[in-house]
Amino acid sequence: MTIDHVLTLLLVVPAVGLIPLAIFRDARSAKQIAIVTTFVELVLSIVMLVQFHVGEADFQLVEKADWLPSLGIRYFVGVDGVSVLLVPMTTLLTFISVLYSSGGAIKERVTEFMAAFLLLEIGMVGVFVSLDLFLFYVMFELMLVPMYLIIGIWGGPRRIYSTLKFVIFTLAGSLLMLVGIVAIWLASGPEGSRTLSLPDLIAMRNHFSKDFQFWVFLAMGLAFAIKLPMFPFHTWLPDAHVEAPTAGSIILAGVLLKAGGYGFLRFALPLFPVGTAIWLPVIIVLSVVAILYGGAVSTVQKDLKKLVAYSSVAHMGFVTLGIFVLNTQGAVGAVLQMLNHGFVTGALFLFVGIQYERTHRRVIADLGGLAHRWPLYTAFFGVFVLASLGLPGLNGFVSEFLVLLGTFQFGGDPLGGLFWGPLAALGVILAAVYLLWMFQRVMYGPVREAYKALPDLSPIEVACAVPLLILTVALGVFPQPAIAIIEPSLDRIVKLALDPTLQVALK
Amino acid sequence: MTGTDLIAVAPEIIVALTAGLVVVADAALSRSASRRLLPVLVAAGLVVALFAPAIWPPFGPSVEVFVRKGTTPFFGGFVNVDPFANFFRAVFVVLALFATVVAPSYLERKNVPAGEYYATLLFSTLGAMTIALSTDLITLFVGLELMTIPIYVLAGMQRRDRYSNEAALKYFLLGAFSSALLVYGFAWLFGIAGSTRFVDIAAALGAAGLASGPTIVALSLVTVGLGFKAAVVPFHQWTPDAYDGAPTPATAFMSVGPKAAAFAAILRVLVGGMGPLIVDWSTVFAVLAAITMTAGNVVALVQTNTKRMLAYSSIAHTGYILAAVAATQAGAAAGAAVLFYVFAYGLMNLGAFASLLYFDLEGTRGATLDEMNGFARRHGLGALVFAVFLISLTGIPPTVGFVAKFLVIRPVLDAGYAWLAVILALNAVLAAFYYLRVVVRMYMYDADSGAPALVSPRLLSLSLGVSAIAVVVLGILPNSLYQWALDAAAPLLP
Repeated sequence: MTIDHVLTLLLVVPAVGLIPLAIFRDARSAKQIAIVTTFVELVLSIVMLVQFHVGEADFQLVEKADWLPSLGIRYFVGVDGVSVLLVPMTTLLTFISVLYSSGGAIKERVTEFMAAFLLLEIGMVGVFVSLDLFLFYVMFELMLVPMYLIIGIWGGPRRIYSTLKFVIFTLAGSLLMLVGIVAIWLASGPEGSRTLSLPDLIAMRNHFSKDFQFWVFLAMGLAFAIKLPMFPFHTWLPDAHVEAPTAGSIILAGVLLKAGGYGFLRFALPLFPVGTAIWLPVIIVLSVVAILYGGAVSTVQKDLKKLVAYSSVAHMGFVTLGIFVLNTQGAVGAVLQMLNHGFVTGALFLFVGIQYERTHRRVIADLGGLAHRWPLYTAFFGVFVLASLGLPGLNGFVSEFLVLLGTFQFGGDPLGGLFWGPLAALGVILAAVYLLWMFQRVMYGPVREAYKALPDLSPIEVACAVPLLILTVALGVFPQPAIAIIEPSLDRIVKLALDPTLQVALK
Repeated sequence: MTGTDLIAVAPEIIVALTAGLVVVADAALSRSASRRLLPVLVAAGLVVALFAPAIWPPFGPSVEVFVRKGTTPFFGGFVNVDPFANFFRAVFVVLALFATVVAPSYLERKNVPAGEYYATLLFSTLGAMTIALSTDLITLFVGLELMTIPIYVLAGMQRRDRYSNEAALKYFLLGAFSSALLVYGFAWLFGIAGSTRFVDIAAALGAAGLASGPTIVALSLVTVGLGFKAAVVPFHQWTPDAYDGAPTPATAFMSVGPKAAAFAAILRVLVGGMGPLIVDWSTVFAVLAAITMTAGNVVALVQTNTKRMLAYSSIAHTGYILAAVAATQAGAAAGAAVLFYVFAYGLMNLGAFASLLYFDLEGTRGATLDEMNGFARRHGLGALVFAVFLISLTGIPPTVGFVAKFLVIRPVLDAGYAWLAVILALNAVLAAFYYLRVVVRMYMYDADSGAPALVSPRLLSLSLGVSAIAVVVLGILPNSLYQWALDAAAPLLP
């Protein structure tokens, strides 16, 4: 089945869903409308994936239209191997979040909640398909306001502090990126022929001077580093996660963080090879620090949700490490890690949320012995915990292995791959420590009297978890189809980043 | 004076006639009738004025031609109807229209005399429009005074309210002081050029150069004088008190109309009238812009009264616009950025102040942050439009405020002020903190028990709704507005 303008449709469908939402304002119809809309969006994204030709490095399903002709800014969307899997991941996680929230997790202002989610979905999908920097920036910011409301209205007790911290951190980065984008636009040629379209900019990138690349990489890199988040810009993340409602956490960890890693791959590397080379040592060091620091801090967390949040910092360290060792294995590992982290950490937040809704406890010391009461819950949660710590046969292993493989081959400054590889591998061991220890304390041991009557997973919760479980196992056992989709495009991006003089004519 | 002269200023004549008619009608009608009828009359007059440029051709096709080209001055060279003037005319008329339709219920509630409110509003608009038309120091000064004197009255319209009195007196004293400085500066300019025409002044200044003492004195005085009018730090002290004390619909207009006019004057005199010197003088603007935006935002951060907070934030926006003025080396793009920003700012800031009209303000202390608690539950539409205006003021897409910031950063970088662009970006983050704090209060807090009553005039909701939609639509499809601003800026900055 082929559908024309499928990427535009992906951006339009959630917006269309907002219309009936504005008309039927009761909670029940709001849930139904949101479920239907996000499901249509999910199906559409799968259709998009089917239409994608595997093995080509170029952008596909491209659509262009004039938007701000006097500024040379266009509506320009397309996907390549890097983004084509991130879009279905986004739509799946959004659908799951909406489905789970409809099951009773959100009781107040349901219509507004669903509207925020649909708005958020436009921004998230838009970030991954935009090929014009202006459009990308608009989409990047479009993700901000709905998430700000989701944490701020439906969050926990300290939600106001957390949501403002989240917004201020993100805005600080993205407004500097805006300055960077304008600088790129001005450097893209004389008045009248300026552009922000990515392929055009890549074609003219050897006109960007060294100083220019240094500063603009910094401006854009800060935005991505805060979004990702990289150490030491991560401090907003634990606060935001702890206070966000479950669906908000799933999306925040599953999709929003990926916008940072994706931004590095899509824009920073191919546009600024010289800037990349200058900043690379800093980012490598910070990535390994993030892996070890995230792991160490996770180990001592008392709060279950905070533990998962800090483990995200460590996992995102693998993403930046994989990207900046500048070889294809590392980059493929990084993109797979983004996908896997989306599915696995999304699932972990889902299960922490399910557990919290029953026990109203998130402090690990207050929990225990749940395994005897909830066999189904334990089975699912166990698989996701094992995937998160990188057990072979599950998806986390594949991506972390590829990143480590890439790191060992890394030959540049500082110190080389043989120094950083083993250090990063330590992070995998730390992950086993904090995750298994947590699992043991939460699921085994004596059970509290109060928890004995609590029910196991409901059908709707199982329905949310099953697709994630299937993907976790499938990507772990048989990752080759995904790698085949990702690899050609990444190979080209790595080549572009390694050789500043390389000229590639992109469609 | 010929027929074409009169036709060229038809919009101004219509506004003036409407204002006169308001005064007469107010005297003739009963109090309640004038409350009901005057807004309709004013709105009708403004709408006709807005479309008056389009009805010129029937009077004579030749007018159309030189109006477009903007080369032939009218009234013996005192007035010029170029695209620049038309842009600002439209801005002022739209803002006045906005300030008219949001006012009636407030005026009635607070027992503000309707006839005086509308008449002063119209006279002030007329003054602002005159500034936009000016090609001569005298026209400009007459316009400036015609604009500000009614505003002093507008600020003090609640005679029994001591805050309103304080606002009017402060505004009047500082306004008169700044006018004096400005006139003194104009006198120096005349002394240098021997003429009051901008063209002659530009030529004379270009010949004299910045090294000459009189040029420096003249430019400093004019910059300070116009800086007062636009509320540039450190000439801003009148702003918060005047905005805070004035009746809210008047504040809404004061915060945008005179500011837009001040920037029209700055562009006409300091950019249009300075010729080649502007390149050297622009550093002064860049420094003032950085100080203005930072000071405005930092002080706004600690305000607990939303009306004062918006007053200080309007100072910060002056800084953003001034940054684009400083970047005039970048050519028409800088002028277009100023014009676009002025339009966007007018729309969103007027909307934000007008959103405060939902709160039945005791005296004129403004709505405190606590009073904002749970606004979304108490008045869904009001909170939504207020949030849209605040998000637009923050500069988050897809709103017109974002496009305006983008357009300002562009010439600033192009002119080589990268440091100013970074300061601007960081300032926008500061601003986000206090703007979003209001959104937090509206959406994420529950209303206090014993919260003051909200008022919900339909006309207010309707006009705010329309302008909120405009803010979003212009944020998604800004091209035609930008093109218009670019055409309008072209005569000044080739």
